[in-house]
Amino acid sequence: MRSVHAVLLGMVLAFALQANAHAYLDPGTGTYILWLLISGAVGALYAVKLYWSKIRSFFGGERSGKEQDSTAKQDGDDQA
Amino acid sequence: MTRHDATPLAGSFRDPSGFIFERDGVLYRQVNHFYSDDYDLLVQSGLYDSLVGEGLLIPHEEVSAPAAQPQTACRVIAPERLPFVSYPYEWCFSQLKDAALATLAIQKKAFEAGMWLKDSSAYNIQFAGGRPVLIDTLSFEKYREGQPWVAYRQFCQHFLAPLALMALRDVRLGQLMRVYIDGVPLDLASRLLPLKSRLRPSLLTHICLHARLQRRWADRSDQAAVSREGNISRRGFAGMVDSLEAAVRRLCWKPKGTEWATYYEDTNYTPAAFAHKQRIVGELIEAARPQTVWDLGANTGVFSRLAAGRARIVVSFDVDPAAVEKNYLECAGSQKAVLPLLADLTNPSPPLGWNLCERTSLIERGPADTVIALALVHHLAISNNVPLDMIMDFFEQICDTLIVEFAPKEDSQVQRLLATREDVFPDYTREGFEGALRSRFKISRCEELSESRRIIYLARSLRKTGW
Repeated sequence: MRSVHAVLLGMVLAFALQANAHAYLDPGTGTYILWLLISGAVGALYAVKLYWSKIRSFFGGERSGKEQDSTAKQDGDDQA
Repeated sequence: MTRHDATPLAGSFRDPSGFIFERDGVLYRQVNHFYSDDYDLLVQSGLYDSLVGEGLLIPHEEVSAPAAQPQTACRVIAPERLPFVSYPYEWCFSQLKDAALATLAIQKKAFEAGMWLKDSSAYNIQFAGGRPVLIDTLSFEKYREGQPWVAYRQFCQHFLAPLALMALRDVRLGQLMRVYIDGVPLDLASRLLPLKSRLRPSLLTHICLHARLQRRWADRSDQAAVSREGNISRRGFAGMVDSLEAAVRRLCWKPKGTEWATYYEDTNYTPAAFAHKQRIVGELIEAARPQTVWDLGANTGVFSRLAAGRARIVVSFDVDPAAVEKNYLECAGSQKAVLPLLADLTNPSPPLGWNLCERTSLIERGPADTVIALALVHHLAISNNVPLDMIMDFFEQICDTLIVEFAPKEDSQVQRLLATREDVFPDYTREGFEGALRSRFKISRCEELSESRRIIYLARSLRKTGW
């Protein structure tokens, strides 16, 4: 477990060293860890969402902006 | 107050990329050498034009005015000046939500142009023409491949956490933004959110897990196994921003059961009296010829909208989050001159932040040309025990011209306020009111409302000469 922590922290520090070249905000170590842990899965779900919407528009035609907006509001969440 | 020197404004000091300063009444932003490459990329990539075209970024002009600090400056720009600056703790739920969505829309556009927002402070958003707009032109920098979004935590603290608390716990928790100037701490938000919020994966992740990891990894500084490669893919980055947007969109709040949101349906005016009041107030606003109007105790903004066609901006204040929400939703898109805001006049926004100068008080943001105070004085005087002369002192500080309504004790609304308490207000009479008004203002017009015992006055501050 300790070694996992050490690796995570190492990666975070690497990010921090690069990002802080100009950044004036400190994003925080925990925030970096969170991105390391979940951004891959969230990105994969995002890709599925994009492909799904392409498939739907292929079969269902182009939806109006209003319909798209209300659907987005309803399905909302939950890729994270 | 016009500044002839060129010192940075008090709230513009955190970002070394540049700062805002004022000289001879004109607002400038100095861009430092430090930020030169990112500024060029913003303009040359077409991102600036695209965002300004969509009304998401404040427009500016590059000018040849001298810099405030020439040794660090690479250029000076003059951004469009807004008629009124408001703060997140003065916004209703939908204003904060729209500001959050505007921030994410800007972030998405920046990402497409190879940039990102290096900060996502709610204070960087203002409402202009009824829409949220980013006022910090120096918030963009080149996207760093593989890096997490540097402003992610700030976005969660400034937008997602307060919105979740307002939607899922209590809308009044938006006032935490007044206590925590860098946004609601995520561990606090996590503790205050109801258990059902854990059922939403986005809130569970961006707030609860985020808070837990912040706590767990606080103050760790061992440098073992340092890797130099960034590991966040572009798809992962876009997915995280999209997830934040979906989380914000799903948060909703509908006003219900508040005291004043139904005031105009539950009033003692007959339709004729109300029509008469609208006509009188319209005439008095015409006579005052204001550029800026503050409508105090505006409720859902009926009279603010009446003033909107006659002034450059009408700031429409009320203490009730439901009334402000209703006002904002009714004005959005149609009444561009009206800015609905939350304000408790018995405890208005104070100066806040570093050296008490970072965020200005409500009074410092005045005076308005005209203040409208309809159906307000009896609430201040009777519900809150503020003496009439102190009410006039306050009005005198914040306006040049006053349109004020007096409701005598015989009025049914005043009777309602007195029904459950002892009447300890012997001076609350028409004579007492006019005496207090005359001590600070010159009464120019006085109109008795038909089918009502109420009186509306137009008065000019004694500070102003020429009347």
